Amino acid sequence: MINKVYTLKEAVEKFVKNGDQLAMGGFTTNRKPYALVSEILRQGQTDFIGQPGPGGGDWDMLIGEGRVKAYINCYTANSGVTNVSRRFRNAIEQGKMLFEDYSQDVSMLMLHASSLGLPYLPVRLMMGTDLVDKWGISKEVRKTIDKLPDEKFSYVENPFNPGETVVAVPVPRLDLALIHAQKASPDGTVTIEGNEFHDVDIAIAAKRVIVTCEELISNEEIRKDPESVSIPSMCVDAVVHVPFGAHPSQCYNYYDYDNPFMKEYDVASKTDEAFEGFVNKWVYKYEDHESYIEELGANRLINLRVIPGLGYSHFKEGVK
Amino acid sequence: MADYTNYTIQEMQAVTIARQIKNGQVVTVGTGLPLIGASLAKRVYAPGCNLVVESGLMDCAPIEVPRSVGDNRLMRHCSTQWPNVRFIGFETNEWLNGNDRLVAFIGGAQIDPYGNLNSTCIGDYNNPKTRFTGSGGANGIATYTNTIIMMQHEKRRFMKKIDYVTSPGWMDGPGGREKKGLPGNRGPIMVVTDLGVMKFDEETKRMYLSGYYPNSSIEEIVEKTGFDIDVSRAELLKAPEPEVIKMIREEIDPGQAFIKVPK
Repeated sequence: MINKVYTLKEAVEKFVKNGDQLAMGGFTTNRKPYALVSEILRQGQTDFIGQPGPGGGDWDMLIGEGRVKAYINCYTANSGVTNVSRRFRNAIEQGKMLFEDYSQDVSMLMLHASSLGLPYLPVRLMMGTDLVDKWGISKEVRKTIDKLPDEKFSYVENPFNPGETVVAVPVPRLDLALIHAQKASPDGTVTIEGNEFHDVDIAIAAKRVIVTCEELISNEEIRKDPESVSIPSMCVDAVVHVPFGAHPSQCYNYYDYDNPFMKEYDVASKTDEAFEGFVNKWVYKYEDHESYIEELGANRLINLRVIPGLGYSHFKEGVK
Repeated sequence: MADYTNYTIQEMQAVTIARQIKNGQVVTVGTGLPLIGASLAKRVYAPGCNLVVESGLMDCAPIEVPRSVGDNRLMRHCSTQWPNVRFIGFETNEWLNGNDRLVAFIGGAQIDPYGNLNSTCIGDYNNPKTRFTGSGGANGIATYTNTIIMMQHEKRRFMKKIDYVTSPGWMDGPGGREKKGLPGNRGPIMVVTDLGVMKFDEETKRMYLSGYYPNSSIEEIVEKTGFDIDVSRAELLKAPEPEVIKMIREEIDPGQAFIKVPK
C-alpha cells in the first residue's frame, strides 16, 4: 500500500527544486495553493520559470520575494480587489524580472497541450497584435535559459490548408505542479469540486505533483464515487492535509475569499517596505500552516464558510 | 421613498450596454460594470440571453455580484462548469460553424479609432511606465466574437496610436483583419463610455459618435477624444427607467460592490 502523505514541510523539501518550471492550479482568487507558496517562501526555493495561467496573489508573493526568474504571463490580478497585482507590476516596471506575454487562451491551451504531450501547438490567436509582434524575452536571452525555447512563437503554414498562416507556440515541459483540492486520499487520488480550471492538465503534465487538500479521506472512501474523482493516484507524488490551504482565496463548497485579508495585501503590496512587513507578519513568522491558522482565528475562518445553496459566505469586514 | 430618478453615470453605462443585448444572444461577460449590465439584460431587456464567462462557467445566473470570472458566486449559479479550454473551443467553434450569437463585453486602458485595445502597458513594452494585467481572455474574445467595449472616456485613453495592441479591433481599417488572418466578419461593434456611445462606420471602420447621455454633451466628448471623431450622427440617448435603477440598487448590486448609490 503506497502512502504519499507528507507534512507540508517534508513535501516541499522533497519535491520543490530551484529552477523548476512551475505551474499552480486555481484561478486568480479561487482555489490557489497559498499554503504551498508560503512554505516555499519559508524554505527558500527560487529561480522558478513561471507558467501561471490566470495568476493572483499566489504568484505575486513569489514574484515579490524574488523567487521567479522568468514569468510567462497572461493575466495576474486579485480581481475585484487588486486589478493589477502590484509586486508583478513593480517587478516589470523596475526591470527586476524576465517576463513574456501570451493571451490567456494561448497560455491555457499550452498547458492543455502539455497534458496531451503535443510537440507544439498551432493556434489562430494573437494574430495581428503585439502579442506576436513584441517579445518580452529576446531570442538571445532565451538561449541562456534551458527551459525556455529560443522562439516565443513561429508562423507556420497549415499543412491541410495551403496558404493559411497560423501561429505555432511552444509546449512547456513542467517540472512541478502545485494544486489545492477539496479531497484526496493517501494513495494520491484527488477530487476537485467545482471548476477544475487547468489543474488536471498540469497534474498530468508535470514531472512532480504536490496536492494539498481540505480533507484527507481513505482510499476506499474516495473510490466510492469515481465519477467525481479528478486525478488518479499515479499522477500525484505527495498529498498533504492542509485545511484552509487556499486561504485567502476561495475553495468551492468549503469557504469564500477573505476579502479583508486581500485588502490588507492590496495595500501592503504597494511598496517594498509594506510588502516585507506583510510577508513577515503572514508567512515567515510561522513554523507551519497550523500556527498561521491559529493566528487567523476560529471566528474569522468560521465566518468564511460557504452557505449551502448560495456557495458563498456573508463574511463582513470588522469580524475577527 | 427612495429616489430612483437620480441615476449615476455608471448606472447609465450599465443600462446602455444592457439595452444592446437581444434574446438568443450568448453574452461573454467580465466582472464589474459589464456584469451589472449583463444581469440587467437577463432580467429586463433580454431574458432569453445566456451569460458565459471566460473561466468556462456557462449559462450563469449569479445572485450576488461576483468579483472575478472564477468566483464561486458564478460557479454555484451556472449550468456547466467547464475548464477554460472548453470555453476557448466554444468561442472558436461559434465562428467556425457560422453562428452569430456571441457578443462580449471587454475593456482596456487605451483604444484607437479602429477599436484596437491595449490592456498590457503604457510606454515601451519591455520597459513600461505602467504595467497592466495583460490579455486575460480579451485577445481570444476580440478575435472570434463581436465586442462591446467599455472604457473611461479620457483623452489619454482615446489615442491615435496606442502603446500596445493586446486585442484586435478593425486593425487599420477595411480589410485590416483579413490581412492579419483574423475573421473579417467579427470585431468591435460599439464603445460605451461614461460620456456616450461610439460605433464603427461600415465603410471606413472608423469610430464615430452615435449617442450621448442626458448628462454629457457632444462638445465634451470631442474634447475628451484624442483623435478626430465624426459627430454628425450623434443622438441623445434615453435616461434609464426608474424601475430599472431600483432593480440595480436593490437586487443586482445591493452591496454597492461596483455601483455607488448617490447619498
